[in-house]
Amino acid sequence: MIKAGQIDKGTALLIKGQPFVCIEREFVNPGKGSAFVRLKLKSPATGQVLSETMKSQDNAEDITVEDRDLQYLYNDGENFYFQNTDTFDQVDVPMKSFTDYEYFMKEGETYRATFWEDQVLDIIIPSKIVFTVAEAEEAVKGDTVQGATKYVTTETGLRVRVPIFIKQGEKIRVNTETKEYLERVNS
Amino acid sequence: MFDFKAAARRSELCRNIRAYFDGKGYLEVSTPTLSPYLIPEPTIKAFRTEFRNEFAGNMDLYLIPSPEIFMKRLLAAGSPSIYQISTCFRNAEQLGHVHNPEFMMLEYYTLDFDDKDSIALTIDMIDKTKIAEHQEWMDKESLIITMAEAMERWAGVDMEKAEDIGYIRKEAERLGLTPDASDTWNDIFNRIFLTYVETSIPKDRPVYITDYPDKINCLAKAYSDKPCRKRWEMYINGIEIANCYDEETDKEATRKYFEEEEATLIREREGTGDAIPPADPSFPDLAIPQSSGVAMGLDRLLAAEMGVNSIEPLLLFPLSDMLVRGKSRE
Repeated sequence: MIKAGQIDKGTALLIKGQPFVCIEREFVNPGKGSAFVRLKLKSPATGQVLSETMKSQDNAEDITVEDRDLQYLYNDGENFYFQNTDTFDQVDVPMKSFTDYEYFMKEGETYRATFWEDQVLDIIIPSKIVFTVAEAEEAVKGDTVQGATKYVTTETGLRVRVPIFIKQGEKIRVNTETKEYLERVNS
Repeated sequence: MFDFKAAARRSELCRNIRAYFDGKGYLEVSTPTLSPYLIPEPTIKAFRTEFRNEFAGNMDLYLIPSPEIFMKRLLAAGSPSIYQISTCFRNAEQLGHVHNPEFMMLEYYTLDFDDKDSIALTIDMIDKTKIAEHQEWMDKESLIITMAEAMERWAGVDMEKAEDIGYIRKEAERLGLTPDASDTWNDIFNRIFLTYVETSIPKDRPVYITDYPDKINCLAKAYSDKPCRKRWEMYINGIEIANCYDEETDKEATRKYFEEEEATLIREREGTGDAIPPADPSFPDLAIPQSSGVAMGLDRLLAAEMGVNSIEPLLLFPLSDMLVRGKSRE
């Protein structure tokens, strides 16, 4: 058991027998009310998202989880396919549980995943990732207004709005939470 | 990097607000931020500090969570309508997009007004004092909705029946919430309100939620014909911006509030290490005239007017920056 106030993003809980992972946590103090924590909890099995509001002193049933390394192989539009790098077992994860992760994970790279028993509860991707620009529109000639932007597509298919000086083949750093361009990376 | 544009917008907003209230004949006042006693509010944790005094002995002082305690004293002593922009302090709230331990509060008290008059005043004030930025919510008419309507609309809870704690507990469970056996009525109400109602408040316009349950104790007058108080809270972008009362004028009701809330505060805090500020002993004897007061978080209003969802980028020195980076933004 843990106190609701200690629940953080990524904390795994058992709710009515089902594992859920906290995806959003916000402390709220309603006017003239005691402190609460407002949670969004996601079921990795079904993608279902639960809203729950707990007092900071409420108890919650946390579960013991284990981190394992998975090498990302590919996806077929339904599932992500990984290989456990220790046991070489194949691990399937429904894509609907991890929205947009196909844009963040690179085939062949290894990611740390959180397991509860045999179920993948979380896949940890860095908050900032360097991508290669696979496709870039040519900047319009003469368009030198400061702050002008255009779209590029990364090798994973992610569309990002970038400054016009970014060219195909260059590397850019992207914030994976907001999908926003951060900076050009000189290799 | 310091955001000097945001600093200029803050200055502009304060200037506009002062011009607005000055133009209406309100007196701008300046009251202390340190006080030996506060209004008892078990849900607000205060910062305690110590006044070192070689001659009279040391004593605890508290940073005010709101200037209410002093502004009502001025009203009782015959002041005209008054306003103030001051720094207020609240302890133990999460650092982040809507909280900083010290923040800028606008409070205004209008003589002879009730809470509904304050809605009209607040709508006009926000319109006339807005900074030179345009957001969509500024063009939309405010939504004014009672708490009973809001609970019905967004949680399907009948507030007439919800007087009964058994009913509201069942409703919470129906909604998939897990109220604790030790939950008070207020706790269960807040679980529902925070999960389903506050998160459903339209974000495209200011929303005034009026007529709060009288079970939530406060210094707003109670209605005689329904179990509600003459109190509202205003939201923009789903974030609470202001709180208003038709101020309690009955000394007995005020004394009862002080006794109950001070007892709760002491019971809940003893042994926890949290400050237990003494209640202002003479406050219940004040002859508060008919008036309505509004407390408005100016950092949050500024954020809404600038179209950002966090107060932190608008603060030159947010505490979170100083703590996390161990340095400020330069």
